[in-house]
Amino acid sequence: MRHLVILSFVVAAAAACSSNKPPSQQHNDAGIVDSSPIDSNVGPTVDASCFTNPTTHLEIINACTTATAIYKDSHPPLTLPDGGLPPLPQN
Amino acid sequence: MTRLAYLIAGLALASASTAAADPNCPGPSCTATCDTLSLPPIVYFQTGDTQTNLMKAMGRKLRDNTPRPLTIGFITSGSCTNIQEAYHKTAAISATISYAPSTAEVATWDAGSAAFTCKAPANTFPDVDNSAVFNSACTSEAPPNNVVVNNGPIQAYVMAVPELSDQTAMTAEEAYFVWGFGMAGMISPWTDESNMFMRTVTKSTQITWSDSIGVPPNRWKGSAFDQSAQVLSSLQNSQKPEAAIGILGDEVYDGARDTLNVLAFRAYGQYAAYYPDSTFTSHDKKNLRDGHYTVWSPTTYMNYIDPASGAPLNDDAQYIIDLIIGEDSNATPAPNFAASDVVASVGLVPDCAMQVQRAFDGGPLSLYSAPESCKCRYEATVDTSTCATCDDSTPCSTGVCRDGYCEAN
Repeated sequence: MRHLVILSFVVAAAAACSSNKPPSQQHNDAGIVDSSPIDSNVGPTVDASCFTNPTTHLEIINACTTATAIYKDSHPPLTLPDGGLPPLPQN
Repeated sequence: MTRLAYLIAGLALASASTAAADPNCPGPSCTATCDTLSLPPIVYFQTGDTQTNLMKAMGRKLRDNTPRPLTIGFITSGSCTNIQEAYHKTAAISATISYAPSTAEVATWDAGSAAFTCKAPANTFPDVDNSAVFNSACTSEAPPNNVVVNNGPIQAYVMAVPELSDQTAMTAEEAYFVWGFGMAGMISPWTDESNMFMRTVTKSTQITWSDSIGVPPNRWKGSAFDQSAQVLSSLQNSQKPEAAIGILGDEVYDGARDTLNVLAFRAYGQYAAYYPDSTFTSHDKKNLRDGHYTVWSPTTYMNYIDPASGAPLNDDAQYIIDLIIGEDSNATPAPNFAASDVVASVGLVPDCAMQVQRAFDGGPLSLYSAPESCKCRYEATVDTSTCATCDDSTPCSTGVCRDGYCEAN
């Protein structure tokens, strides 16, 4: 049951952020500022929006940082049309 | 009759001196009973194998701790197994005990060296049990009233690949398909289940990753190993380095950086992938501490108390736990070493250096400020600190002077 709750949480979070738009266009939050990817050797030229004064989980994990960030353009083939994840196989 | 008496006496003498006569005792292959080796008081620990380096490093310091010399004798098992051991005393120790030699015994020994060994006396149960996940990840059962659960340092978990792999990052969605679907997940290059190395279902590494990606521990695809060392060697020896991937405790990876690469991880809802450290090569655990790297759990240390008085049944066990969990001020006499430095040196993060917290494995993060922060001290230990330094003659302009640094609180 606990896994189901957690999975529901993460899938909901994933669905909320499954748009192909850059992050700055997915949110309209005054806390967001635009900055360049920290490590140009590993990051493509996507918008690296971040939160300057994070308070919630999603803001904390997307807070502004000087750390190396890697932007990966990933599209798993089995992702559902709505951006969600299918159930795990039975075996 | 006289000859028989001499023979019996001789056999008894030979038997009594077996340990002393064994050229391997004390040493890494000694099988003598621990209490015959003239060691300082032994506290028996049963820990997750991710805590091996801590047991060895802290054990070494305690052997040399002249104010209160002690021996950490430890065995390893899965976190969930250890919780059951603490709650129900499910089994006396049968595995070989490992411990650190003192400097007087082996001056050049360190945590990377082989531990010394001995055999626990019959019917010995662990004084302390350790889990490297929240106990709630393993059981909904409340601890018995004679067991205290102490939250200890923070443990990160990583996905690692062989050094020859070109891979640098994985998203949570990819991890869901890689580990939950295996080959059928079609996440290139991780489609060869014989090169996907995971742990068994009671292990903290497996549990914490499971709760981070939404794949229950018993639903993973790949090759399951009982020991971290088996995952490590499988990665190092894989004939298909691009396809190989494994899960490890971060400190295990830290000890193998010359042969493996860590993957940055992007959690659900996160914009970018991050390493546990601020860069690929650093050791500062910055992203773990500030919430950019989400795959971690606190370690817990469980020991026994008198339910009526609350007093620990084993004072030596409590002394060691206090040092591990950062309650140094409770540990008397004060040790002749900085316990938090030992914790940091093996890749763990003291709670007082964390800036985020969570209530259960895989749970959402919230901001955290330790009552007595050690962020500056920690950063100075593992990297460099930008905090102001202080002493009696140079007070802090803001914050609190602690261990020579101006901490926020």
